[in-house]
Amino acid sequence: MIRAARGEWTKLRTLVSTAWLLLALAAFTAGLSALGAWSLDGRGCTGPADCDPDLTRFSLIGVYAGQVAALVLGALAATAEYATGTIHPTLMANPRRPIVLAAKATVVTGLVLGAGLLGVLGSVLAGRFLLPGKGFTPAHGYPLLSLTDGLTLRAAAGTVLYLALIALFALGAGLALRDTATTLTTVLALLFVAPMVAPFLSDPAWQRHLAQVVPTAGLAVQTTKRLAELPIAPWAGLGVLAAWAAAALVAGTARFLLRDA
Amino acid sequence: METSIDVRDLRKRYGSTVAVDGLSFEVRPGLVTGFVGPNGAGKSTTMRVILGLDAADEGSALIGGRPYRSLRAPLREVGALLDAASVHPGRRARDHLLWMAHYSGLPRRRVGEVLDLVGLSSVARRRVGGFSLGMRQRLGIAAALLGDPPVLMFDEPVNGLDPEGIRWIRELLRSMAAEGRAVLVSSHLMGELEDTADHLVVIGRGRLIADTTVRELLETASAGRVVLRTARRSEAMSVLANAGAEVAATERDTLTVTGLPAERIATLLGESGLPVSELAQHRASLEEAYMELTRDSVDYRVEVAK
Repeated sequence: MIRAARGEWTKLRTLVSTAWLLLALAAFTAGLSALGAWSLDGRGCTGPADCDPDLTRFSLIGVYAGQVAALVLGALAATAEYATGTIHPTLMANPRRPIVLAAKATVVTGLVLGAGLLGVLGSVLAGRFLLPGKGFTPAHGYPLLSLTDGLTLRAAAGTVLYLALIALFALGAGLALRDTATTLTTVLALLFVAPMVAPFLSDPAWQRHLAQVVPTAGLAVQTTKRLAELPIAPWAGLGVLAAWAAAALVAGTARFLLRDA
Repeated sequence: METSIDVRDLRKRYGSTVAVDGLSFEVRPGLVTGFVGPNGAGKSTTMRVILGLDAADEGSALIGGRPYRSLRAPLREVGALLDAASVHPGRRARDHLLWMAHYSGLPRRRVGEVLDLVGLSSVARRRVGGFSLGMRQRLGIAAALLGDPPVLMFDEPVNGLDPEGIRWIRELLRSMAAEGRAVLVSSHLMGELEDTADHLVVIGRGRLIADTTVRELLETASAGRVVLRTARRSEAMSVLANAGAEVAATERDTLTVTGLPAERIATLLGESGLPVSELAQHRASLEEAYMELTRDSVDYRVEVAK
């Protein structure tokens, strides 16, 4: 398993695309988050009683862009092997497929956790430095964004986990579908189905149900204000995404283990 | 002698197509075994099953007595080139070998050694996407040699190689066998193996057609045929036919005779006063013998319009 993981790591690090995707993951997450924090304007606010935006959530908004890099990385880790034919030398080097699969999942998860952590730390720092300039100062009752605050820590750590689960979801889908275009289309459609379909659902109850079952339910973990209004609880939402990732991995594993390479 | 590859009653079906249909053969160490058959005969499928990439529907394919999927360090036991295109175009040649070495716990120095061996050291840092087919073949061969294995399998290794490359690979195959390794090399052109293979496994439509040495196959194909050159062809034909031989006019002035020994032919023609400018045992080429063998098993023969 250690050898296989080392092999998978060498495989990924020797491709320029991996470095670009990890850079994009961290930079998109932190960059769009900074833009999110910068776009807020609280200079007319007298205090939380007057206006009370979820500053943590706004400061982590970049995950919407970062997740695309995470899912492309996860999908390619599987589909590029079939597109280029390197799945053959891979399985010749180690014919024990469960180990190959575990090595792949471990390396992808590790890389995305690392890049995601950088992106999220950048996001929190950006929020901490930008928000006071927009009127959200401790003097007005808005404490500086800090990971020592339990809810903010949950949001930040949860966002890093969210990115890793998205990558695993895409990896599983890639192993099940094998084709890059098909995999990316499927995963992106599932991620953006809620915002696309929701406007057509006139019944708010149905909108709520939809938000509870789609993979993006995992973003509930970013919420630090008005938790009772959420369609799904923060950790439960992340659990929904974990279930999607698990389902994709089960389907991918089944095809990987049972079918010809 | 121990067997290096042992294929036993192998059957493999893809949907409704039977790719391999009850195939059995052995590959022994110290020999180059040619694996020959027309396109679509099941050569690549058999190799994929031996390597555990595809699962057999029935039968077994063992390496040193064990299925590939149970090998602990497979690259040290078998090296294979299946498809030279199985490389990521964005990766450097050296890195392609490096990840395989890491995957199997092989020392890093092997990467440099096999690159030297196949003559790719000068382009080791170039991305594979810019490689010619010949360079990719060499890289694939380097990958097969990475673990210094006692068993080697090459699927159509001369495809895309220039004459110099073809000569190089023939010498490589010979030297690998001379070192005591078992070498299985497939080709759809028998002539490619004429000077290379010791043993031949000929298949067609997934079935075994012949499992023989090159010498035996040539002898069978040439058996009892005599080539005769004479200026008075038609008269010679009737004399020999009257003596019970089967005679075919093959070229201008040339007859191929079956059913009579050369000495008897010489005597008969001498008695009739017919001139003979050449009389010799026919020596079939490997290609000829192969055409004979596979005539009925070519899947994609072009039908000649009448």
